[in-house]
Amino acid sequence: MSNQASITRLPQARRPALLGGYEWATLCLVGFAFAVPVLTRNPQILSQTNLILIAATAALGVYIMLRMDLMSFAVPAFMAIGGYTVAVLSLKLGVTDAILLGVAAFVMPALCAVPLGWLILRLKGVYFVLVTFVLTEIVQLLLFEAAPLTGGSNGLVGMPAVTLFGIELMDNSQVLLTTAGLAFAGFTITALFTRHFRYEFTAIEKNDVLAESLGLACWRYKALAFSVAAGVSGLAGFALVNMLLTAHPTSFAPMSSVSYITYTIVGGKGAILGTLAGAALLVTATDLFALKGELSPGLFGLLIIVVTLVARGGVIGLAAKAAGRMRRASPAAPARVAPIAAVQARGVKS
Amino acid sequence: MLSIRDLHVSYGGTRAVEGIDLDVGAGETVLLIGANGAGKSSLINAVIGLVRTARGRVTFDGRDIAGLPSDARARCGIGYSPEGRRVFPSMSVKDNVLSGAVRLTPREQARRWDGLVDTFPFLAERQAQAAGELSGGQQQLVAIARAMSGGPKLLLLDEPFLGLAPVWIRQISAAVQRMRDEGIAVLMTEQMARPALRIAQVGHVMRSGQIRRSGRTEEIKGAALAEEYL
Repeated sequence: MSNQASITRLPQARRPALLGGYEWATLCLVGFAFAVPVLTRNPQILSQTNLILIAATAALGVYIMLRMDLMSFAVPAFMAIGGYTVAVLSLKLGVTDAILLGVAAFVMPALCAVPLGWLILRLKGVYFVLVTFVLTEIVQLLLFEAAPLTGGSNGLVGMPAVTLFGIELMDNSQVLLTTAGLAFAGFTITALFTRHFRYEFTAIEKNDVLAESLGLACWRYKALAFSVAAGVSGLAGFALVNMLLTAHPTSFAPMSSVSYITYTIVGGKGAILGTLAGAALLVTATDLFALKGELSPGLFGLLIIVVTLVARGGVIGLAAKAAGRMRRASPAAPARVAPIAAVQARGVKS
Repeated sequence: MLSIRDLHVSYGGTRAVEGIDLDVGAGETVLLIGANGAGKSSLINAVIGLVRTARGRVTFDGRDIAGLPSDARARCGIGYSPEGRRVFPSMSVKDNVLSGAVRLTPREQARRWDGLVDTFPFLAERQAQAAGELSGGQQQLVAIARAMSGGPKLLLLDEPFLGLAPVWIRQISAAVQRMRDEGIAVLMTEQMARPALRIAQVGHVMRSGQIRRSGRTEEIKGAALAEEYL
């Protein structure tokens, strides 16, 4: 029994709170990125923060689907749809407003996900994994083949800088502000969405057949989640295209989906903070290991093995476990109080 | 309330249920008894829609529900407590119970919770505890409370006494009798026939996917065919 109970996080009794502790902490950390350009002009730090935010936002697409035990490799596909939507709008229609582009980058992949979800969300396990990977391959092929719209193998280059209320966001720090805005939007949407449906998602994750027999239309929740995950991935695609000022198929390589999944698993798939922690750890590690030249992939792999062996619940799971141990060890910690008073107050027979 | 006619369920080439006719009226507790593999759980699963019926009609409140998915059947007013309890182990007791009432408003959920706490007082004491940490009997009560939380008109209980101590069997029996008093129809399967026959009004003895004997529970108790299960 206790073994079963320790598998995942434990949502406590129903709370009316809009967001939980992990969600608030994550939004505060993502919000802190707005302050980075004020604190430093170091291009290395600005670039690194940019990369972490893009990686973490992309990993949200994986996180949302994992809440229902579905491992999605489709994140690069939806990033590409979001990124190319922005590139086409800015290059061909002259739209540069960051808010308009952000809405388009979210809505277009989310809409594309509706019919795709209808096709593939009946699948589970390895079949779902395979089909989402193939979907990413197909989108990649379309990017190369639909040259009149996507620029083919040359991509779409020479994008104008985005604007906010008429102000051009051009230099490194302004690009970071754009990325931070998109990441904040992505994290807020994900936090509100997963928090709102947390019981439904947990029930579907643990036993979707049982959840269905309790009256949950699992397919609808999965379709909704797939669509929101696609939209959030599209925001990451916008941020990536905006940073590179180019939309190119290689930016959305199917194998990059492995990285986004790794960020989520290593960070801890039980909480939204895990995607941010995983992305921060692994993007920083990639940068550090790059100094070791050929040893870099080996060191990166070693780090992933160590983290997954030591921290089965990811970095956040490990931290939560350590915090729990410290609380229990502390003599000042209050004992767990059964809500007897509440029972008595309600006049319930005991 | 629930009417089953000529129901057939097959798994590949194996026939699990063959030509079952059965009725459950409002406020009535109907018991299916039989050995392992008799087809009791298959019949329950066919009613909630977890297995596809090969043939036959299932009507609930006058509506043919045979073609509906299980979530739609649950929304029609059918509660289901599966064999082996199957609570969501990492969710709290309260979340487990209310996962059967997600379509209700928060106010209605709160009202339902209070009503269930009246029936099962231990829910209030353990509401924040992970359901996976409870004993088998407590988990069974959580599963039954979860099935009741949506306010069902018909409750399907699949082997509710399985592996439980007498103290829990008494509690569950009392809860079933209370449901009957409230007008909720109950269709339950059980291998432990003696305690189950005490709370049901009508019994059906199943063997090899067929109903071999039906009648009031007093008749079933004395029937020679039933003896092999008692």
